[in-house]
Amino acid sequence: MTSLKVLASFVLKEFRQLARSPEMLAVLFLLPAIQLLVMGFAVTNEVKNVDISFFDYDKSHLSKSLIESFSSTDRFRIVPVSEAEHPEELLFKWKSKVVVVIPAGFERDCHGFAKPVLQVISDGIDGNSAALANAYVQGCILRFSQVMLQSRDPGLMKKDQGLDLIVRMSFNNDLKSNLNIIPGIIAVLVTVSSMVLSAISLAKEKELGTLEQLLVSPMHKYQLVAGKLLPYLIITLLQMQVAVLLAGIIFRISLAGSYPVLMLFSLIYLFTTLGLGIFISTRVNSQQQAMFFSWFMMVVMILLSGFFVPVQNMPKVIRGICFFNPLTHYMTVIREIVVKGSNLAQLRKELLILLSGGFIVFGFSLLSFRKRVK
Amino acid sequence: MNVVLVKELGFAYGLQAALQNVNLEVPEGLIYGLIGPDSAGKTTLIRAICTLLPYKQGMIEVLGRDALKNSAAIRAQIGYMPQRFSLYKDLSVEQNLEFFGRLFGVNSQTRGQNMEKLYRFSHLKPFAKRLAGNLSGGMQQKLALSCALIHTPSLIVLDEPTFGVDPVSRMEFWSILHSLKQEGISILVSTPYMDEAEQCDLISLIDKGQIIGQGSPADILAAWSGWLYRLKSSDLQNLYRFLKAQSCLDDLQLFGGEIHLGSDSQLSDSLFINWQRQCPCLEGWEQIQPSMEDAFLKMMK
Repeated sequence: MTSLKVLASFVLKEFRQLARSPEMLAVLFLLPAIQLLVMGFAVTNEVKNVDISFFDYDKSHLSKSLIESFSSTDRFRIVPVSEAEHPEELLFKWKSKVVVVIPAGFERDCHGFAKPVLQVISDGIDGNSAALANAYVQGCILRFSQVMLQSRDPGLMKKDQGLDLIVRMSFNNDLKSNLNIIPGIIAVLVTVSSMVLSAISLAKEKELGTLEQLLVSPMHKYQLVAGKLLPYLIITLLQMQVAVLLAGIIFRISLAGSYPVLMLFSLIYLFTTLGLGIFISTRVNSQQQAMFFSWFMMVVMILLSGFFVPVQNMPKVIRGICFFNPLTHYMTVIREIVVKGSNLAQLRKELLILLSGGFIVFGFSLLSFRKRVK
Repeated sequence: MNVVLVKELGFAYGLQAALQNVNLEVPEGLIYGLIGPDSAGKTTLIRAICTLLPYKQGMIEVLGRDALKNSAAIRAQIGYMPQRFSLYKDLSVEQNLEFFGRLFGVNSQTRGQNMEKLYRFSHLKPFAKRLAGNLSGGMQQKLALSCALIHTPSLIVLDEPTFGVDPVSRMEFWSILHSLKQEGISILVSTPYMDEAEQCDLISLIDKGQIIGQGSPADILAAWSGWLYRLKSSDLQNLYRFLKAQSCLDDLQLFGGEIHLGSDSQLSDSLFINWQRQCPCLEGWEQIQPSMEDAFLKMMK
């Protein structure tokens, strides 16, 4: 009973201190909202307004209508070119992302004299968008050829030249990247606030010199850690509500799966991040060091989580490292629940991994913390 | 009975020895001073006594309990005021007191009574709602002391409580400590200020991790043997160089505006007059009683 009271007094103190700095409160609740808004709109894998240029050496009726077909979509923005320019040069000068070369005799070839050839050159620096842009270009050309097939001119394109391609994207028919990005942002938000807050927690008391006074108190080290982390656990879960709510209102992303399951996973995951934070906090001497170490860890965790680049695209060794990154699994879980509506049974592998991860990290941090000074 | 007993304590930070063979006996109901310059080892010793340091050499008993094995019981019974009084500057005076009271498991009724009592001696009641960070240095120091006293400990341990506080607040702080002593609380206090030694009943002089003198301030001054002279000059550096060159003098100390010269035998006026002839910047001399600082500097040798 008394131990609970001591814990309660600690939690009360933490909230009082938080309430005392309005800047901190703003950081805690306004920043996630802003982050979600800005990143939700900015971080997108959809490819729009790709600068495309055409080198038309054929100058035929057919080549002109092919170019025209690209102007009917907002995927592409046609960059006019002069005769003097060279395809490679356009890409090099960043004037264009994709260059299509229509060779002389294109129309003639289409009438069955030879296999028609088109050259497509893309700027491959941003691999993901290049691949997507390429796919769009192919799609456009394919559609164009099909239209030609059904056109009035029967001599144009023989039937066996036609291609039949069915493209379907499961769960995300329009390739809406929001659906993938927003849950990812929420996962990152949860990680960032819980880790930074807990990493700072004891470091701040150390810097102020109040930690020594806490250490000589009869309160148990478990109470001290629980009293420090409980407020941050509550705040992070609150932040998450704000983020989920905003995702629904602004991005129209509704939760496909169960809300309690999402919260359960978040709670389990927070044991890992809070554990890592408190581990950092017990080992550094200042808030600055705490910030440095937690940011360093978080950047690695985020980069290797599949947030930007899918884990399955990474080399095998890196994939092995990703397995030990708790954020990878939480990212998977949150996307599965939000987008696919997966249930607990389907996510039992992730549940097991996150549970054991939390248990090991949090347990280790707690056991290695001594109520002594260095 | 001794409230603190330290036997042959040794401690090192890595290879750097911080304490060597420290022995200490703090009797009940007194003000005991640990006096020494910065980095003498005072804070290390105090942390070890407050059960915060996992020492490997020697033994410490606080209130009759072993500091390594019985740390929880000791922590509940002592009040500790760490160096550079640590408070939550973003909490009010009242909230600080309440928090430390709850932390030490003082129930709300007793807490209220204790707070009233602490307000009486600290005169902090009018500032109860003020943020601790907005108090003056002297008031912060009194609040930190109050926080260390909220659970009515029988022993309080204060690490340089008067550091960086103005002289008036320092005087007031010492008079508070004296009234706490009247109530039967044992006090162990460290300070780098030699003049505060006189406020203590017993003192240990500590330097480079070793105890170099122990006893009451009067005992330590009485143990000073020989004669002490104060020499005045408008050009102290010049005089100091001249005296250093005299082979018979080994106990020379430069103070703020004077030179203290110690000697095993009485020095005659003719000797001083002779010096004055060789070094005209010597303007005056007189025999004085040694202060704690003189005693400390002599013991350091």
